[in-house]
Amino acid sequence: MRDLLDVYVQQFKTTLAAQAQYRAALVIWIIGHIVDPVIYLVVWDTVARSSGGSVGTFTTGDFGAYFVLLMLVNHATFTWIMWEYEYRIRHGDLSFALLRPLHPIHADIADNVSFKLITFVFMLPIAAGLAIVFRATLPFIPGTWVVFVPALLFAFIVRFLMEWTLAMAAFWTTRVSAINQIYYVAALFLSGQVAPLSLMPFPIQVVATLLPFRWIISFPVELLPGRLTPGEALTGFAAQAVWLAIGLALLKIVWRAGVRQYSAVGS
Amino acid sequence: MSTPTIHIHDLCKTYIVSEREAGVVAALQSLVRRHTEQVVAVDGLTFDVAPGEVVGFLGPNGAGKTTTLKMLSGLLHPTAGQVTVLGYVPWKREKEFLRQITLVMGQRNQLVWDIPAIDSYELNRAIYRIPTPDYRRTLDELTDLLELGPLLRKPVRNLSLGERMKCEIAAALLHRPQVLFLDEPTIGLDVTMQRRIRTFIAEYNGRYGAAVLLTSHYMADVEALCRRVIVIHHGKLLFDGELTDLVQSFSAHKTITVQLGDCGADLQSYGDVVTCEDGYVTLRVPKSETARVTERLLADLPIIDLTVEDPPIEEVIEHVFAQEVV
Amino acid sequence: MTYLRLLYVFFRIGILGELAYRVNFLVQLFQSLLGLGTALAGLAVIFSHTQELGGWRQDELVTLVGVYLLVGGAINLVIQPSMERLIESVREGTLDFTLTKPEDAQLLVSAQAVQIWKLIDVVLGFGVLIVALIRLRAAVGAWQAAAFGVALLAGGAIVYSFWLILATCSFWFVRVENILVIFQSMYEAGRWPVSLYPPWLRFALTFIVPVAFATTVPAQALTGRLTGQTLSGAVALATVLLVGSRLFWRFGIRYYSGASA
Repeated sequence: MRDLLDVYVQQFKTTLAAQAQYRAALVIWIIGHIVDPVIYLVVWDTVARSSGGSVGTFTTGDFGAYFVLLMLVNHATFTWIMWEYEYRIRHGDLSFALLRPLHPIHADIADNVSFKLITFVFMLPIAAGLAIVFRATLPFIPGTWVVFVPALLFAFIVRFLMEWTLAMAAFWTTRVSAINQIYYVAALFLSGQVAPLSLMPFPIQVVATLLPFRWIISFPVELLPGRLTPGEALTGFAAQAVWLAIGLALLKIVWRAGVRQYSAVGS
Repeated sequence: MSTPTIHIHDLCKTYIVSEREAGVVAALQSLVRRHTEQVVAVDGLTFDVAPGEVVGFLGPNGAGKTTTLKMLSGLLHPTAGQVTVLGYVPWKREKEFLRQITLVMGQRNQLVWDIPAIDSYELNRAIYRIPTPDYRRTLDELTDLLELGPLLRKPVRNLSLGERMKCEIAAALLHRPQVLFLDEPTIGLDVTMQRRIRTFIAEYNGRYGAAVLLTSHYMADVEALCRRVIVIHHGKLLFDGELTDLVQSFSAHKTITVQLGDCGADLQSYGDVVTCEDGYVTLRVPKSETARVTERLLADLPIIDLTVEDPPIEEVIEHVFAQEVV
Repeated sequence: MTYLRLLYVFFRIGILGELAYRVNFLVQLFQSLLGLGTALAGLAVIFSHTQELGGWRQDELVTLVGVYLLVGGAINLVIQPSMERLIESVREGTLDFTLTKPEDAQLLVSAQAVQIWKLIDVVLGFGVLIVALIRLRAAVGAWQAAAFGVALLAGGAIVYSFWLILATCSFWFVRVENILVIFQSMYEAGRWPVSLYPPWLRFALTFIVPVAFATTVPAQALTGRLTGQTLSGAVALATVLLVGSRLFWRFGIRYYSGASA
C-alpha cells in the first residue's frame, strides 16, 4: 500500500512537469466544462423566467445552483483517458506501461487527480463567480454534505472505470473519435447536462437510471441540494456499487483482451 | 566578371536573443525584466557568385551558413550590408525574383505528406504559373535525370528518405530557377543516393547554367561539385577560392603512404607515423621535408610502393575551423 | 483571378488526399448526423417545457442550428486546418518554403489545408435551414436572402480575420497551439441566439470571440429579425478586421524575417 501511495506522489510530480502534446486538447475541454453549463443555465433560466419563475421543481435560483454544481462535479469526475490511450497506442508508448510491474490504471488515476488538483484552483473561483452572477440558491442541509463526499468519490471511480474500459477500444480501432462522440452524446442527455433529469421525458429518465450515466454525474448533483429522499439516496449508492462491480469485471476482461490484441499486432 | 548573379557586400546579421537561467526565480524575473544578448550570426561577409557557378559554402554548425542563405533567398532581413541576387534585393520578395530562385532544405519537406508527389507538383505549377508545355517538358527531364518514374504516384509518406529527397528536389526545380540555394540536400541519405543527387546537380548546372550555392557537411559533395569554396566561421569569411588552394594554404603537411612487406620497421626517424596496417605505413611530414624524406625512404627501405598525398580534406577543414594549420 | 485559381488548386489537393479514404466520408457523415440529432433533441427537450425561448420559436431555433452547422462546416473546411497548419509551419520552419514562393503568402497559408469531408456539415446545415424555413412558412424575399448572404460573408470574414490574428501571434509566442481552441470551445454557444446571454457574455461572444456574427446574425436575417444597423455594423466590422488582420500579418512576417520594425 505504501508503494502505491508512492506511485501516486511521483505521478503528481510528473504531472506538474508534463508537457505532453495532447494536453493542448485538454484546454478545449476545460473551457468547454465552463462554457457548456453556462449555456444551458442561460437557456433554462430564460425558460423559467418566461414560465412564471420556475420549471418543474426548479426555480431560476435552483437552476443556477444545479448547473454550477454540475460544472464542478463534471470536472471532478471527467477523464481524458480515451484520447490518451488512442495517442499512446498510435505512438507506441504503451510498451513502457506494459513493462511496469503495476497495472497502468494506477498511474492514470494519479495523473488525473493530480491534474485536477491544479485545475480546481481555477475552477472554484470561477464557479463561485458564476454562482453569484446567476444568483444561484443552494439550501444548506448539513446531512447532504456528509453523503455528498462518498457519492462524488464513487461517481469518480465508476466513471473512471467506465471510460478506461471504453479507452481500450483503441486497441481494436482507430475510429476512437466516433466512439467517443457516441459516448459523449449519451452522457450529455443521460447524465443531466442538457437538463436536470427530472425535466427530461420519462423514457429518458428510465434509461438514464438503468445505465450508469445518472450515477456518475447527476446523482451527486441531485443529492447535495436535498432533492432526493433518503430512500432514493440509498438506491443511488446501491446503483453505484453495482456499476462499480460491473466496471471492475469489465475492466479486467477488456484489459486482458486488449493486451493480447496489442502484442499480437505489435506496437 | 559580367554582372554577378549574387553580390554580397559587407553583409551583417545580428540576432537579439533573450537569455534566461534555469530555475523558478529566474523564470519569474524574466517576466519583469528581459535580459537580452546580441548574437552576431554574419559579420561583414563579402563575395560575388558568377552566373552558372557552383560554390560550396562550408563552415561548422552555427557558422552563419543557413543565415546567409536565408538572407539571399529573401527570408531574412540583413542588419547591415548589401545583397543583390539576379539584380533584385531579396528581402523585398518581388514575385519576379521569387520565380527565379529556389531553396531546398535537407531536413524539411515542402511536399504535401498524404498525396502523391505529382499532385504537389501541380500545386507548384499553379503557384509559379508555369505554362503547361514547359511544365511537361521540365517534368519529363527531371523524371529522367532523377529516375522518378515509379515514385511520382505514390503518396509521399510511403517513400523512403532518399526517394522523398529526390521528389523534393524535383519539386524545387519545376520552375527552372536560375539560382539554387541548397542547404544540406544530401543529409541523412545513403551513399548511393548522395552520389545520384550530386550527379544530378552537376547535370542541372551544366544543362541550364544555373548558379548553385551549396552547403554540406559531406566533403564528398563539395569535392564532386564545387571548384570554388567559401569557408565561413563565426560569421566571418575565412577563405574564398578554389578547393585545391584551400588545401594548399591550410595544410602544412603532406601524407606519405609507404607499402612495405610488414609493419616491423620503425620509421619514427622519417616523420610522424600515423598508422601501420597490413604493411602500409602512413607518415605525416612537413611539406618542405617531403622531397628529402621520400628520397631517404626510397634509398633505405625495400619499398614496394610509395604515394605522396595531401591530408584528407576533412582534416583540413577541421583545422580551418579550429583555425589551426595542418 | 489568381485567388480563385489557387483556391481551386488547394481544394483539389484536399480532395485528392481524401478520396482514397471513403471510410472517412462515412465516419464524418455519421458524426455530423449525430451532432445534428443532438442539437435537435436538445431543442425538443427545451420546448417540451415552453413555447418560445427569448422570443424565438422552435423552428426559428432550428434555422439557427442550420446556420451553426453551415458556418461551422465552412470554418472547419478550410480556415481551421489551414491556420493550424500555419502555426505548425512556424514552429517547424516549413513556413520558409511558403515565403520563397512567388505568391502572396497570406493567400497561400489561408488555403493550404482542406478537410474536404466537412462539406457534409455545410450541406447538412444548408438542408436543415431550408427545411426549417419551409416549416415556418417564412416568406424569405429577395432582400432577406440577400441580407442573409451578406451576413454570412461578413460573419465569415470576421471569423477568418479572428483566426488569422490568433495564428499570427505564433510568430511571437511559440506555444500557441492551444490558442485556436478558444474559438472551438466558444462556438458551441453559437447554437443559441446570442440575445439570450447576459450582457457580459453577449459582449464576449460578439467582440472578443466573434461567434455572434458567425451564427446569430445570419439567422436573424433569415427570421426577419435583422436590423439594418446590425447588418451594416457587421459589414463594417468585417472590413476593419480584414484590413487589420492583413496589416498584423504583414507585421508578423516582417518580424519573422528580422526586419527592424
